[in-house]
Amino acid sequence: MKSSLVRQGLVLVLLALLPAAGEAIYFRDKISWRSAIAPSEMVTVEQARGWGDAAIWVDARPDDEFASDHVPGAISLNEDRWNELLPQFLAVWAPGKKVVVYCSSLSCNASREVARRLRKEAQLPSVFVLEGGWEAWLKKNR
Amino acid sequence: MNRTPQPQSSTLNVESLAVASRSNIKRQTSNVLSHILDFVLAGIFIYAGALKAIDPVQFASDIDNYKILAWPVSVALAFYLPWLEILCGLALVFRFLYRGALSILSLSIVVFTLAIIAAKIRGLDITCGCFGHVSQHWSFPSHLATNLAILAGLLALLIKATFENRRQNTV
Repeated sequence: MKSSLVRQGLVLVLLALLPAAGEAIYFRDKISWRSAIAPSEMVTVEQARGWGDAAIWVDARPDDEFASDHVPGAISLNEDRWNELLPQFLAVWAPGKKVVVYCSSLSCNASREVARRLRKEAQLPSVFVLEGGWEAWLKKNR
Repeated sequence: MNRTPQPQSSTLNVESLAVASRSNIKRQTSNVLSHILDFVLAGIFIYAGALKAIDPVQFASDIDNYKILAWPVSVALAFYLPWLEILCGLALVFRFLYRGALSILSLSIVVFTLAIIAAKIRGLDITCGCFGHVSQHWSFPSHLATNLAILAGLLALLIKATFENRRQNTV
């Protein structure tokens, strides 16, 4: 009886490989197997600071975290209030500006997601994710 | 030769018929309930699987946020797990490879729950990815409660199916 249960499980596990392989082939150009963010889309604190006024800092953290502290001059743009905050950000943005998006730390997802949406939905060309996020910025500046 | 009617044995017959009919009703009710639970759980897993299957890039990033697996493994799982969920969900609906599907889903829910707890303990700011963007703002207790409720349902069905299978094998 146990062997039939294991056999059933194995059949399902093997069956699922087929559509998964198909999907992996279909999405081969949309995802990198090497890194979550392409190195060309990441920027360090030093590099981003080096851009000076050419950079717009975007804080992807929730409102309360932005209110408590943020990179000087940063604009809040989080997914909770995306539709409300995007026009405010676009009013500041200008062609040629580089956008640096950050969230709380290395493990957070918000900056990657906001950067992805800025590229995809707002069609902005130079959008970068800050390596290490707010924590990295704090370490270098305090 | 004529037998006189035996009121005692006929009463016994009526009683045993009543008991049999009551146990039959109980069994039917339990079958209906387990079918409903099958459909509810299948719906949850098919829906969750479909949400993730249409956006594997996002799901890979959600898995990566747990900081447990290397990125290539997260990508492989992002392509694979949604389809496993969908297939197991369909297996529950059609009662095909039924116990195998229940075992896989129970095991996967246990693993997801442990991963969520581990992430919470490590203080990671995560998106669970369980239901794509729908579950993005779920709190830790609601995650845990949902997973435990699903696990309870799966285990109840698995135990029932195992007993039925054992009974069929002995008959």
